[in-house]
Amino acid sequence: MITAGIRDQGLGVSEKELIRCEGVWKIYNEDRPHEVQALADVSLKITEGSFTILGGPSGSGKTTLLALLGTMDRPSRGKIFIGGKDITALSDTALASLRRGSIGFVFQNFNLIPRLSAWENVSAPIVPVESKEKDRRDRAVGLLQKFGLAERASHTPEELSGGEQQRVAIARALVNDPRIIILDEPTSNIDAEATAVLIDILNGLKAEGRTLLVSTHDQVLRPLADAVFELKRGRLSG
Amino acid sequence: MLCLVAILFPFISAIAILEGVKAQSELSVTEGADIFVTMDMFGRNGVIPIEMAAAMEQIDGVTKAVPRAVGRIYIGNKLAVLLGIEGDEKPPSVNFIKGSLPKAEEVVIGKGLAKHLGLDVGDKLNIGTRVVAFLEGEPYIIKKIFRVSGIFDSQSGIWASNLVLMDIYDAVSVFEMDDFATDISLHVRPGYDEAVSKSLQKMNPYFRIQTKGLVKTYIDRGFNMKGGVFAVLYVVAFALTIPAILVTSGFGLSERRKETGILKAAGWQTHEVLEMVFFENIMLALISAPAAFVLSFVWIKLFNAPFIAQIIIPGAESIAAFPVPSKFMPMPFVFSFFFALLLTMAGSIYSTWSAAVVSPVEAMK
Repeated sequence: MITAGIRDQGLGVSEKELIRCEGVWKIYNEDRPHEVQALADVSLKITEGSFTILGGPSGSGKTTLLALLGTMDRPSRGKIFIGGKDITALSDTALASLRRGSIGFVFQNFNLIPRLSAWENVSAPIVPVESKEKDRRDRAVGLLQKFGLAERASHTPEELSGGEQQRVAIARALVNDPRIIILDEPTSNIDAEATAVLIDILNGLKAEGRTLLVSTHDQVLRPLADAVFELKRGRLSG
Repeated sequence: MLCLVAILFPFISAIAILEGVKAQSELSVTEGADIFVTMDMFGRNGVIPIEMAAAMEQIDGVTKAVPRAVGRIYIGNKLAVLLGIEGDEKPPSVNFIKGSLPKAEEVVIGKGLAKHLGLDVGDKLNIGTRVVAFLEGEPYIIKKIFRVSGIFDSQSGIWASNLVLMDIYDAVSVFEMDDFATDISLHVRPGYDEAVSKSLQKMNPYFRIQTKGLVKTYIDRGFNMKGGVFAVLYVVAFALTIPAILVTSGFGLSERRKETGILKAAGWQTHEVLEMVFFENIMLALISAPAAFVLSFVWIKLFNAPFIAQIIIPGAESIAAFPVPSKFMPMPFVFSFFFALLLTMAGSIYSTWSAAVVSPVEAMK
């Protein structure tokens, strides 16, 4: 199990384990033609409140691993524990509940719903649990304001720049107040100016004590990280 | 939503027009004679001697007996209804725009027909009776020439638009059934219908006697069957569109599938996604059914149902020359709502469900 990636930067990172992978494999089209081994025997630990970077070249399995840790897919083999609970044994319903309560995910291409406005996109995760539209709107607009997008609350995604779309996606990931935030290649679709804003946001989230898990092959985020894991051809290295 | 409105609009319009025509038919019967008498001809309506009208008028309770000759004829390429009636009689619910009742060798025509043929009061009108021979391949038709003595106002009903009214003896001459009428209509004092019917049957056991109530029943039955057949055909057409919608929207990697994946990734449960889609569909049906209803109302009442009336009312032009009758009932509206709901459900529930039961990653691919 790789834990050596953790480096203490004196940022008050607690040593309480939050996420643990044990021998995780992900194989697509298993035992069929065109079998793809996306992850092989991945074991790692992530401590609560840490900023963890998942590095590696394109196609190394970063997004697949993030999807597994974000409970959006199931491993072919191995176990994943979140908060000490084996999530591979949970039902789909329980996994959805876990995502709703504990995990916020920011996709590489943001995955905003085109027909909804920015605030509606942000509030989408809480629609089933918060029946009053005014409360949902207040919460969403509050988050958009935090990220400097209050003026853009009624705009649809196509009316926003790439950096703005990303901030809407981050606000959506935060609307449930999760303790784990997962970002997939957050710097790949934004310019340098937006990247600087992103770094500020990530620093703020880290200061709030959230656990951040970020996949990137961009060196610009490395200085923020408490731990770095490198993936190569689906295997952890280093 | 526009698709739904486009599908529901003809249905609501057609049913409204059918109901309107039915209501107008019932009104015509209500305003018309009380008993219609024809001869029994092997179980069908046969012609009846005109002279019998005088004898019928002697029956206790009968206030008036009017022989009529009614039939369909082509004038040019236009189908018209020819009504022959005694000189001083006029069909109910019909008003003149100009002119007067026809005398011998005169006709009064409906506004629609007058417009189609470009005729005015004083003009001559040829009415062909029958083909008597073929000369060098061309039909040789006997024609009678009539003078247009008046024009009916087509506002008074769909029947008046293509009506040709003439004296009964001219009509029987056109139909070549001299001294016979197609029926004799009797006006009777209130409460005498049954007694008069019995007297008529005693007068001649071969009379076919149809009371106003019986005619109304026929009309109801006929229109209900027509409306029912139309509704069934529409439902069948609807049912056939469902697989097409499933194919186009259900099995592809549609936006809905990706949206479902995004919502699942955000922590939505499968039943929550399905509930949302169900609620959206109800809202869509609730909006599109009234929208189609309003559009149909405007189309018929304001624009006189162009292109729809001709499908429902035989002989009507694409832009009808008469005010298209209509009656908007609650049931077609309710049906429209359920049709819309069924269609949206068929197009979305399966695709949503199939995306909701796989992993969010799979759904978002």
